[in-house]
Amino acid sequence: MPVQVSAGAYYVFVAAVFFLFWASAGSRHARLAVVLLANYLFAARYGLFYVVLLPLCSSIDFLAGLGLMRFRAPAARRLLVGVSLVLNLGLLVGSRHMGWVLGRAGGGSAHWDWVFPLGLSFYTLQALTYTIDLYRGDAEGTRSLLEYLASVTFFPTLLAGPITRVADLVGQLAKPPALDRSAGGRAFFLIGLGLLKKAFLANFLAENLVNRVFDTPTLYSGAETLIAVYAYSLELYFDFSGYTDIARGVGMLLGIRLPINFDRPYIAANLTDFWRRWHLSFSNWLRDYLYFSLPGARTRLMPYVNLAITMVLGGLWHGVTWTFFAWGLLHGTGLAATRAWMVKRGRKRKPANPWARAAAVFGTYQFVCLTWVFFRASNMENAWAILGRIGSLSVGFENISPTLLAALGIGAATFAVRKQWYAWAEERFARSPFWVHTAALLVVTLAIRLLGGRANVPFVYSRF
Amino acid sequence: MRKFPISTALTIVSLGALLMLLRVWMPAAIDTPKALLGAIVDFSPESTPASPLVERHEAVPPERLATVAASAMHAPLLDDRNGVLDRFYASLWRTEKGAGTTRILHYGDSPTTADLITGDTRHLLQERYGDAGHGLVLIAKPWAWYGHRGVELSGSGWQISPASSFKALDGAFGLGGVSFIGQAGAHSKLVLRDPDQSNFELWYMAEPDGGVVTAEADGRQVAHIATDGAAGPAFAAFAVPGGAHQLDLAVESGRVRLFCLTAEKAGPGVVYDSAGLNGASIAVLSRMFNETYWAEELRHRNPDMVVINYGTNEADFASFVDKGFEKELREAIRRLHAALPLASILIMSPMDRGAREGADGIVTMPTIPRIVALERRVAAETGCGFFDTFDAMGGEGTMARWYTAEPRLVSADLIHPYPAGGKIIATILVKEIDRGLNRYKLRSALTEPRP
Repeated sequence: MPVQVSAGAYYVFVAAVFFLFWASAGSRHARLAVVLLANYLFAARYGLFYVVLLPLCSSIDFLAGLGLMRFRAPAARRLLVGVSLVLNLGLLVGSRHMGWVLGRAGGGSAHWDWVFPLGLSFYTLQALTYTIDLYRGDAEGTRSLLEYLASVTFFPTLLAGPITRVADLVGQLAKPPALDRSAGGRAFFLIGLGLLKKAFLANFLAENLVNRVFDTPTLYSGAETLIAVYAYSLELYFDFSGYTDIARGVGMLLGIRLPINFDRPYIAANLTDFWRRWHLSFSNWLRDYLYFSLPGARTRLMPYVNLAITMVLGGLWHGVTWTFFAWGLLHGTGLAATRAWMVKRGRKRKPANPWARAAAVFGTYQFVCLTWVFFRASNMENAWAILGRIGSLSVGFENISPTLLAALGIGAATFAVRKQWYAWAEERFARSPFWVHTAALLVVTLAIRLLGGRANVPFVYSRF
Repeated sequence: MRKFPISTALTIVSLGALLMLLRVWMPAAIDTPKALLGAIVDFSPESTPASPLVERHEAVPPERLATVAASAMHAPLLDDRNGVLDRFYASLWRTEKGAGTTRILHYGDSPTTADLITGDTRHLLQERYGDAGHGLVLIAKPWAWYGHRGVELSGSGWQISPASSFKALDGAFGLGGVSFIGQAGAHSKLVLRDPDQSNFELWYMAEPDGGVVTAEADGRQVAHIATDGAAGPAFAAFAVPGGAHQLDLAVESGRVRLFCLTAEKAGPGVVYDSAGLNGASIAVLSRMFNETYWAEELRHRNPDMVVINYGTNEADFASFVDKGFEKELREAIRRLHAALPLASILIMSPMDRGAREGADGIVTMPTIPRIVALERRVAAETGCGFFDTFDAMGGEGTMARWYTAEPRLVSADLIHPYPAGGKIIATILVKEIDRGLNRYKLRSALTEPRP
């Protein structure tokens, strides 16, 4: 069994890495070696073959990077970045879909499966940032294999991001690290908050409504099914943003700043705004490395088509299924329509009146929830069944308990928390003495163990 | 060491120390250091595969799983000793030989209301012994997930009162346990996948000022039923020669109170009535039903076997299971015996029900095995048959296995089976009924006087 990020063993592992890292902080090679060892140990818990596969693929990317730093001839540079693209996209497709190919080759009766317990989707996107940045001249590379290997497989981001530019990680890991009391407190704040989000909101909503309704929609009324879709929107947000908080907190304990991934996405006033708030590291990657690479940026029509293509490919990155295709297509079409609307009406500098903004937020949220139906459904039949139940307009709330309503209310209320309030709380906590941090983490740990259920439910995005 | 973050390290060390100290008082809440370290450094082949190419363990198809589960058990899954199911077997044998209809009436809770196990049982029995029709269908959906396989049901304008809502009213809930009150304009539509059903009967409450309800088959009026009369259950049979694809019920005038509709074919064959109520418990039969009305309805339906299938919802209340359940169950059986002294009664135990516990843990709710044992004992003491659904599924821990099976066999609530899970139970039940019938045939041959 892999070490789940929400399980106690993961934090024992993080504590061990923390002490080894800071004990060796004076030596660049020693601390990089500790990070690299931690990365590969973390990956090996998912499968021993990762300790061969990851160094092999990373080393090829590193060599491509060395070549890109050395050669100026366009043909050579295209060849090198092409090798990296083929390698990483091959790894992405191979790790996810080779099983299907093997099954077909065996006439559908093969007795072997192709299983990658640790999805490499995030690794491949992260690895590509390095070679593409070097190809474009947007970043400086490293000549140290150790620096590169430690950065590209940095364990807090390996499972589900946030997708970080490798050149940025290399720069941070190369510098002498620093961690004052305030930064340490901030790291604990993020880890504690992430665990609470996961254990008390995401898991609760998943186990008590969402999974049940999506499993057997015919057992629930239309009203309950609609509430389950809203609950899923909150579950996914708290699950993924909880994971990101933990990853950022763990990175911070090692002196590494990882990018933010979420900014209260469900108060977005349109779909473009939503993608500036939801899974930022992924949407930035899609924009910088895919959308900008597509031809026709200066034509009238192609930017709209490219938006749709980008989002469809973004959908298929989650898995080659019709549901993810539909999810991507809906978002791509929605983004294109939003862009067309913005172009037509022109950019308004004045803020809209509060009612118009509330209506826009409401409409955007409804559309996003519609797309989540396809994102969560096990197949298209399941998605249609969910939408069919909602369309039945049947009313019944037998399966909506007061506790569940409270969880939904708390989840929704967090979107009303102003950024300044959040920053104030984080700052106050960060500046507190160590024993306050200890006490707070102890309360969080015990609350989760005693009240939140002890099952280690994997994070949703850890399967991608 | 000059830059070592002392404050952050102190937090980690003190947190670890405090958790270890608290472990003395709360050993179940905090993992041992050995377990935590073991989870990090366990590189056994089972835990960490050396290759992404792994041998596939084929999912056991439901049919095989049923056989495996059944053959692994020691106690009889269907306990029909002392001839307690002989009336049913005799009828089923007659039906098998092409004479007459065998009727089974199944009372249960949410899986039954969704026709999850009963639908498959009906299908399998009808495939084997002949199809004599859909049987009991409610007037409208009391909840979204009510269903009857092969029938699309919709209705509007009804004031719906199920017996499982524990509002006693006058105890008149009909054979199916739900009362539908409607004024002029209330209507229901039944679309029948099998249009060969030709004999229908509307079950309703006669009342002195009862209104009029009409029935149309494929747009042609086939019944005009006045529900006025002395207060009590009443039945209006009507035939639709040649059958119908669609049946429409509508209140023409006044106020009517309907219960259910039965749809049957000429036979011979089996009719399997599914009377499940959401959130129901045994108290529906022992307390909520007016005994006089229910007895009259039972006698009118005259089933050869009544199945009592409760326990899942009761499992939430350990005290009730230990102190009150047996009394209620015995009362329900007494009422049935009084109404139908010749009919067989089969107590069908609840399925396994899971509860989440510990890391990755799903365990059987502790009350479930107690309910099963209690039902088995009461069945033996009251002249009823007993079917052990819990053991048939695989016994203790089944829900954990079914939930993690690929494909999954039970929903995330660890209560409601998926269609494949429901089919496993139905397959075992029907197989046990077949075996029981064979035992009955053998006994009959041995006891018949020789010429």
